[in-house]
Amino acid sequence: MARIGVFICHCGTNIASVVDVEKVAKAAMQMPDVVFATDYKYMCSEPGQAMIKEAIIEQKLDRIVIASCSPRMHELTFRKMLKGTTINPYMLEIANIREQCAWVHTDREKATAKAIGLVQMAVAKVAKNKPLSAGTIPITKKALVIGGGIAGIQAALDIADCGYDVTIVEKEPSIGGHMVMLDKTFPTMDCSACISTPKMVEANAHPNITLKTSCEVEKVSGYVGNFEVTIKEKAKYVNHDLCTGCGLCQTKCPTKVTSEFDQGMSKRSAIYIPFAQAVPSKPVIDANACLKLKDGKCGICEKVCPIGAINYQDEERFTTEQFGAIIVAIGYELVNWEEMYPEYGGGKYEDVITGLQFERLVNASGPTEGHILRPSNGKEPKDVVIIKCVGSRDPKKGKSYCSRACCMASAKHAHQILDKIPNSRVYVFYMDVRTPGKGYEEFYDNTRKDGAQYIRGRVSKIYKEGSKLIVKGEDSLLAKPVTVEADLVILATAMEPASGAYELAGKLGIAVDGDNWITEAHPKLRPVETQTNGIYLCGTCQGPKDIPDTVAQASAAAVKVAALFSHDEMETSPMVSSVDPDKCSGCGFCVDLCPYKAISLVEYAGRDNGRKVTKTVAKVNEGLCQGCGCCNAICRTGCIDLKGFTNEQILKEVDALCL
Amino acid sequence: MGNLTKEQIQDRIREEAKKALATGEVSCVVGWTKTRFPDKTKPFFAYTDAECDLLVWNEYCINSTAKYALDDRYPEQKIGLITRGCDSRALNRMLKDNQLKRENLYIIGVVCDGKENPVCDGCQHKNPLTYDVLIGEPVEETINEKRFTEVEAFEKLSADEKYEYWAKQYDKCIHCYACRNACPACNCVECYADQYRVGWQGKAADREQNQVYGLTRVFHVGDRCIECGECERVCPMHLPIMRQTKKMLKDINDLFGNYECGLPDDSKPVLGEYKLEDPDEFM
Repeated sequence: MARIGVFICHCGTNIASVVDVEKVAKAAMQMPDVVFATDYKYMCSEPGQAMIKEAIIEQKLDRIVIASCSPRMHELTFRKMLKGTTINPYMLEIANIREQCAWVHTDREKATAKAIGLVQMAVAKVAKNKPLSAGTIPITKKALVIGGGIAGIQAALDIADCGYDVTIVEKEPSIGGHMVMLDKTFPTMDCSACISTPKMVEANAHPNITLKTSCEVEKVSGYVGNFEVTIKEKAKYVNHDLCTGCGLCQTKCPTKVTSEFDQGMSKRSAIYIPFAQAVPSKPVIDANACLKLKDGKCGICEKVCPIGAINYQDEERFTTEQFGAIIVAIGYELVNWEEMYPEYGGGKYEDVITGLQFERLVNASGPTEGHILRPSNGKEPKDVVIIKCVGSRDPKKGKSYCSRACCMASAKHAHQILDKIPNSRVYVFYMDVRTPGKGYEEFYDNTRKDGAQYIRGRVSKIYKEGSKLIVKGEDSLLAKPVTVEADLVILATAMEPASGAYELAGKLGIAVDGDNWITEAHPKLRPVETQTNGIYLCGTCQGPKDIPDTVAQASAAAVKVAALFSHDEMETSPMVSSVDPDKCSGCGFCVDLCPYKAISLVEYAGRDNGRKVTKTVAKVNEGLCQGCGCCNAICRTGCIDLKGFTNEQILKEVDALCL
Repeated sequence: MGNLTKEQIQDRIREEAKKALATGEVSCVVGWTKTRFPDKTKPFFAYTDAECDLLVWNEYCINSTAKYALDDRYPEQKIGLITRGCDSRALNRMLKDNQLKRENLYIIGVVCDGKENPVCDGCQHKNPLTYDVLIGEPVEETINEKRFTEVEAFEKLSADEKYEYWAKQYDKCIHCYACRNACPACNCVECYADQYRVGWQGKAADREQNQVYGLTRVFHVGDRCIECGECERVCPMHLPIMRQTKKMLKDINDLFGNYECGLPDDSKPVLGEYKLEDPDEFM
């Protein structure tokens, strides 16, 4: 006969304001095998836990139900509490009467009835709980950072400085990401390259960091502490072990295509180092542009290369490595504004550029060596319009979210134009000016003092008249239409997740939101963790943010990894599946479906028609099993059971509620 | 069929059965033999040459032979099976489900022109798909345009009407498990319904337990059904069981593209595997 104790938490007023907790406690006393039930303001607090422990001794409880918040929140807290008592930590069930009851209902009577129902289920289930004990598995102390932008670099450096090995996988030929494209960084106006390239060099030189550029994650299996990752290395056609990065090949290459790094505002050769400060500073061949690879003609780079590093036969390679933790730092892209805003010319006017293009234009290493010139005629613009929220905060045409960095980036651009071009005029069309950050508001104020005219309203149309761009908008504060004759228009385009974010999330088994931003485990308390243990995130892949926030998040993610690696082994959950080999048909459906590859078919000495035969049956590797329950759902015979969530327990829960 | 008459096929079946037994590798050949009724045959196990001469081939050879292979999952000798298109797909089903080993089977395939069985009207596989020896020239297969017509019509009913319809059907059901026993996709060593567990499948033949059984059955076989129609044929209470599996197949067809089970490829049942490109709009 089980002796069950039921503890109902008020959670301050979170639960108690909607659910009649005393009534729930009273109802619990009537439930089968319940010998004690009470309510308390904060069950998770020190006195709350002390009260539970006391009740366990006084009432001789052998299992307990706590009706409180989600088990995601405090199940671990209460399991830890039980470690110091006579009860096994797994003789505990949580009835979630906060998130699944109090927070989603307003009718007190009905919510109380539902809370009683939830407690009833938990009581029925806990009666069938069995004591479980955890095992341990070793941890591979090596981290994988996906993405070599500032987020990935910072996270890798911090982990490496803790003494652990890190591999950075970057899909482009160089690390650096978007930050290295920028000219100046707000609000202090320090040169972006000057502060990011030393970090790139440091990452390259760090003994604990391995850089894998032109690489992508192909496949991920395993689990926290023991991921197995297959990395695809794209064909570079240049042997980087031999190449000295002299750059002779790219000066002689006859094929010129638009430069991705300069945002299409300059040309690069088919064999190219993406930019002067690239790390590694070694070229790759663009197979889509190279004449030799396309038509078998040319071959100049091979002839001029003094050490014979060119290899036209290069192929993509796959390597598989073990990692203990993974950090996702795949960053962002800008939305395709040309498709979204045909009224802004849809890309047909050369002098309508994005903020990122302006960064290249104003950058000393950019196509104009830092002179702000109109792309159409190379002349200096006098009247410049900046349009904010192009694609952001526009649920009808673009994205519903705010891209966060563009208000400050636009203020910076206005400041740079007014600073560099004497007698220039800058008009900024805005919806709101959002400058929450240290020194941000002051920067914006200074830009207005510099002379930038802020016009509250959206631009409805841009068209060309002669060499001028006519920008038609509205000043919604004056409720009057506004027309500006501009020489240059800069669009503060929205950020969106990097292409492939959704696919990568699928490979990693982590969640994305409706816009494909990667979802954190908890928006406030677990902001750099994902729902999957051992996989962390940082930077703009989680949502738009600026450089200071990105770097802070990267270091936070690094600490999580370092904390994981500070142990030699970790506890595994005992809530794993097990197979009854006598019932198993050996169909192997669970083998294919198991996301953790924890199940395999093995030989088993069984009996059939009175004879001894060797059967094929499924077997669960308890170290790999994460207790997700997929195998239970697919098993037609019902021969797989998940400890802690057995078929019997679940049926008891259903019965408790429905019968 | 095609180039052979029924009598010629029958002779060839007997001949091939004898040949198979003569090799010493095959213990028996499963086929059909006549009964005292002219319009009925029964499944028959031929162990000797004399018994081989009792094998028949006519329009009343209806029962599926394939599932008899499951009676001995670990045979010491090969099991010979007279196999039509439907039987071969049933065998493929069991092979894919890891219940049989191909090397334990000797398959005598026969090109079939349909039997006195309504399900044969929609047959898309007259030619056996898997065999060791084939009797008859393969014929051109036809696509069954009416594969889901009945389900589509039924879908138009309201939820209440549908419930009422099935409730009435399950009031008739006597919980005999004949549909399961005949089904090639129902091939577990121990069926969930035979297990005794508290709160599990109830053994009473009342509407509630019959419905639990019916629903569970259709989800267990839904994505692996080869549409042979044996379940419906053997039902003593004439429940339209195929309508359920056809509904599953139709939904799978709509969601995952053209879908047919029991083909000799290495595709897996859609609900038994996970792919990144699986539809997930409902999430």
